[in-house]
Amino acid sequence: MGIEVRNLTKEFNDKKVLNNISFKVEDGETLGVVGFSGSGKSTLLKIICGLLYPNSGEIITTPNNADIAMTFQYSALFDFLTVFENIAFPLIERKEFRNKYTQKELKEIVAQKLKIVGLQGIENKYPSELSGGMQKRVGFARAIVTNPKIILYDEPTAGLDPVSSTLIENYIVELKKELNASCLVVTHQLSTIKRATDKAIMLYEGEIVFKGSTQELLKGSNPYTQQFVTASIKGPMQIKSL
Amino acid sequence: MINIKKTLFWQFLNLLEYELKEFLITLGNIGKDFARVIKSMLALKLDKGALVQQCSRFSIDSLPITLTIVAMTSIIIAMQIAPELAKQGAGNYVGSLSALVMVRELSAIMSGFAIISMIGSSYASEIASMAVTEQISAMKVLRVDPVEYLIVPRFLSGIIMMPFVVVISTFCGLVCAAVISNLTAEITYLNFITSMWHGLFIKDIFVALLKSSFFGGTIAIISCSCGYSTRGGALEVGTSTTRAVVWSFVAIAIWDYIFASIFYL
Repeated sequence: MGIEVRNLTKEFNDKKVLNNISFKVEDGETLGVVGFSGSGKSTLLKIICGLLYPNSGEIITTPNNADIAMTFQYSALFDFLTVFENIAFPLIERKEFRNKYTQKELKEIVAQKLKIVGLQGIENKYPSELSGGMQKRVGFARAIVTNPKIILYDEPTAGLDPVSSTLIENYIVELKKELNASCLVVTHQLSTIKRATDKAIMLYEGEIVFKGSTQELLKGSNPYTQQFVTASIKGPMQIKSL
Repeated sequence: MINIKKTLFWQFLNLLEYELKEFLITLGNIGKDFARVIKSMLALKLDKGALVQQCSRFSIDSLPITLTIVAMTSIIIAMQIAPELAKQGAGNYVGSLSALVMVRELSAIMSGFAIISMIGSSYASEIASMAVTEQISAMKVLRVDPVEYLIVPRFLSGIIMMPFVVVISTFCGLVCAAVISNLTAEITYLNFITSMWHGLFIKDIFVALLKSSFFGGTIAIISCSCGYSTRGGALEVGTSTTRAVVWSFVAIAIWDYIFASIFYL
């Protein structure tokens, strides 16, 4: 088992953003997390990776205290560092890796990770010199440089053209195979759900309204998933601003 | 009947409440970040490469503007006092007066102002930009402590390099004062230097160095803390930078008062 979330609840200013959320993701499995904007998806990822604390509930990882990597919606690359320095950053700065690798070894590791995401030879470029898709892939390479067992993707294909999205989706699948990692993908895009995930949960107003396989999400009879898949305004889910 | 909540007085009270809240939050954040920095330093968690880089930035990058401001201030003061003192037959005191003014007060405070505008504002804005673009969150997820990586080297560089900046700017200011005194009141360089040493004491130099170190550390911690606590977008980056500059100005003015009270009252 990779990661298990039990009865997770998070409140902001007395408003429940997540209410009693529970799910499991096994090793080598990818869980899609879908839902409207503001349904609590990103909050869920931030709690899992330790950026936020839950009000109650627990997160169990196997192995205990496993390395969790996260890719951010806007890549969050360090703009004052080169691609090489960005990817090697955890290996240079993290306490347990400090002085563990020689410069030559670091170069080899970075080159290998860049090869996995199809971006050889850009080590000396700065993030501002790369396209949005390339930045995301560098973000992936940085996330997997410590060979994590759990990878979280926050809107990995948001803002990308369809071809770049497919490329990113393929890399999500390949990275999972490469590391046998448990992955969580927060997304709005059906193509990403279809291509990159094995199962999915759907959040609405902080609660899970669907839990099942990707096929069930896309073709099942759940009124929430039906409304999401058909992009219909009518249905059980109401966007408050409309 | 008058609705009290719509009166100007009520709006003024709301504004006062908001400002007070902001003040306490900022003070709390600075205190919290300072405690984290001290904790990291006590645990000897120090990135030496980052420290050298920040020291070079704090001193070399700020020197042109610092020297310009201190030199101009010194020139203006010498232009005002040298001819006047010479006319009164007190030309022998121009050097000591210039040295006292420069070493005790002007050099440190003017260098502080220059460093705030040059380095403090850039610390605040770059860390704030990192905060709003999730770079600091990414650092945390990568299990690298942002306080240790970003704030500690900047804080230490402020403490270490500010005295150097002040020494260089004081020297530059005194050279300018000597030249101007010579040109405007025909006070010889030898006379100026002799007078200068008569007016100065070791205590003045010691206090100036200690004070500048406090100024450097204060500017760095306030600027970094204001940047680090930024949430939101471009507007908030600007607000944080402004807050860092204003708080730093006020803080070094308070430090200056405290040092003057302790050592010269």
